[in-house]
Amino acid sequence: MSARARRLWLLIILIALLLAGLWFSLLTGPVRTTPGDLLDFVLGRDAANAAIFADIRLSRALLAFLVGAALSLSGAILQGYFQNQLADPFVVGASSGASLGAVACISLGLGVTVFGFSSQSVFAFAGGFGLVAFVYALSRRRDVYRVETLLLTGIAAGAMASALTSFLLFMKADSFEQAVFWLLGSFALADVRQAAAIGPWVLASLAAAQWFAKDMNLLVMGDEPARSLGCPVDRIRKVFLTLATLLAALSVSAAGVIGFVGLIVPHGTRIIIGPDHRYLFGFSALAGGVFLVLADLLARTLLFPTELPIGVITAAVGAPFFIYLLNRKR
Amino acid sequence: MMRRAGFVALSLLALASTAFSQSEAVIDDQGISFPLSAPPRRIVSLAPNVTEILFALGLDTEIVGVTRYCDFPEAALRKPKIGGLVDPNLELIKSMGPDLVIAFRGNPLRTVERLRTLGMPVFVLDIGRDLESLFPLIDKLGRITRRDKEAAALAAGLRARLEAIRSRLEGVPAELRVFLALNGQGLWSCGRLSYLNDLIALAKGRNVAGAVERDWLHFGLEQLVHVDPEVIIVLARTPAEFERGRDKFLKDRRFRKVAAVRTGRVFFLDENVTSRFGPRLAEALEVVARNIHPEQFERVP
Repeated sequence: MSARARRLWLLIILIALLLAGLWFSLLTGPVRTTPGDLLDFVLGRDAANAAIFADIRLSRALLAFLVGAALSLSGAILQGYFQNQLADPFVVGASSGASLGAVACISLGLGVTVFGFSSQSVFAFAGGFGLVAFVYALSRRRDVYRVETLLLTGIAAGAMASALTSFLLFMKADSFEQAVFWLLGSFALADVRQAAAIGPWVLASLAAAQWFAKDMNLLVMGDEPARSLGCPVDRIRKVFLTLATLLAALSVSAAGVIGFVGLIVPHGTRIIIGPDHRYLFGFSALAGGVFLVLADLLARTLLFPTELPIGVITAAVGAPFFIYLLNRKR
Repeated sequence: MMRRAGFVALSLLALASTAFSQSEAVIDDQGISFPLSAPPRRIVSLAPNVTEILFALGLDTEIVGVTRYCDFPEAALRKPKIGGLVDPNLELIKSMGPDLVIAFRGNPLRTVERLRTLGMPVFVLDIGRDLESLFPLIDKLGRITRRDKEAAALAAGLRARLEAIRSRLEGVPAELRVFLALNGQGLWSCGRLSYLNDLIALAKGRNVAGAVERDWLHFGLEQLVHVDPEVIIVLARTPAEFERGRDKFLKDRRFRKVAAVRTGRVFFLDENVTSRFGPRLAEALEVVARNIHPEQFERVP
């Protein structure tokens, strides 16, 4: 199959899965609703279930889609950035830093709103950026930049941040629910306003990544070859690292820490459509969104009436799929 | 005498303020003011102790949803469930069309916020650090549900029970060292910030973990041997569970020098009654008092 045909097929499959995911997300829940009710709601004929369809189920699916897209795009960027397929928002410390920021904000009891964002999201950005900047500075001594150093420093700093997060959560005896949220993620309280707050940023980040996608294609050949082909390597690296961190912080502040999405989705996408970043970014985002919509559907139906943290699903479904893809490739 | 006079003055003040605010508003423990209009007709309770008090106020028909932990009174078991304390289901609550949702400490504040953005009024109540805090709790629930009279009667009954126990214990020579063992892995107990610390004090006991500035805490084995409690109270859901909990102390050689173990003073306390911050705490208090000072309950006063 040509690369073009593969992309077309993947696009069709992803859109079909997205529609199916939305369909079931809207129709599944503890309150019994029929396709007829959904039709009434869509046509605006019946407001009885409007709150449940729009305010609860659709908000939830929308936020799951955006967070999945953000995490996956972040992973796609980082994997190109490090020329390493093991990179993801965790490895560079972005996710751990963001969750430390958010949890610190809650523990300190800070409640301000900046530009329509809760202080929690602002702290998440700050934590994510802070940790990534720290990791970046440490691994860039004397202007020699080494990918391995950055990855390893990222893992160590991330572990440090996670330890601090656990410590803060543990200090507050009555925050078990908080702990589960921040460590495993959840969309149970998803609000359409959260989706509206992060949506534009996710789209803008995707547009920016797309704009520099050709440069990323040069970057993966190595810094020197890229530079000789006229790519402003240092600036491009900064842009991509900022984008990846921003995306990770957005998703963490909206839904807690959800693992594996940023690792497996871009990886799987690359296996299917190839390493061209002009397509990889967009497809990864779409696939990540679809993946989390479906994962959230599972999270809230598998153990009905209780809900599973979504991080449990993404790891349980993601890891075997990842192993399968790796084996198939070999 | 001074105390009684003070109490009367306070009651009058409370009465005056209720009378004054009757048509006004009631303020919840988050400081949010709820204007009092028509009595609520569809109430969702997000906590077992709230459910218990609502039933005691005679709101059987008004309660439309409770948590899966709400098992007292028995009628609560027949009410539709909205999920648990930390994971109430938004969709179920919304579908019940409540005109009042009552939350308690333990319900995540994020959930409370989300219920509000879904357009439901949520009245939030906090847990107290002593049994005295039960009275404002009952009062607030009575006012928000417009059952002031029933609430006053419930409070009066509770006051009488507490008073009866207090008079029984009058003139107790010494407080005994008490260790309260919560259900679970390891030695969990209650610190100074827990209402159970107050409950032990009211029963004329001294909580050996009472110096710790926490509500719940993990107590060390070594610490327990060191403080040497004279009475151990084991919280359990069933007598069988209690026996397992008791054996943890009696059959562990490391505890053989502990006074309560030597004398076999390890007692059962119903977790269901004790863990809900509601009027049944008077029952728990009586059990604890009887176990710490049985002699006070033997003679006719």
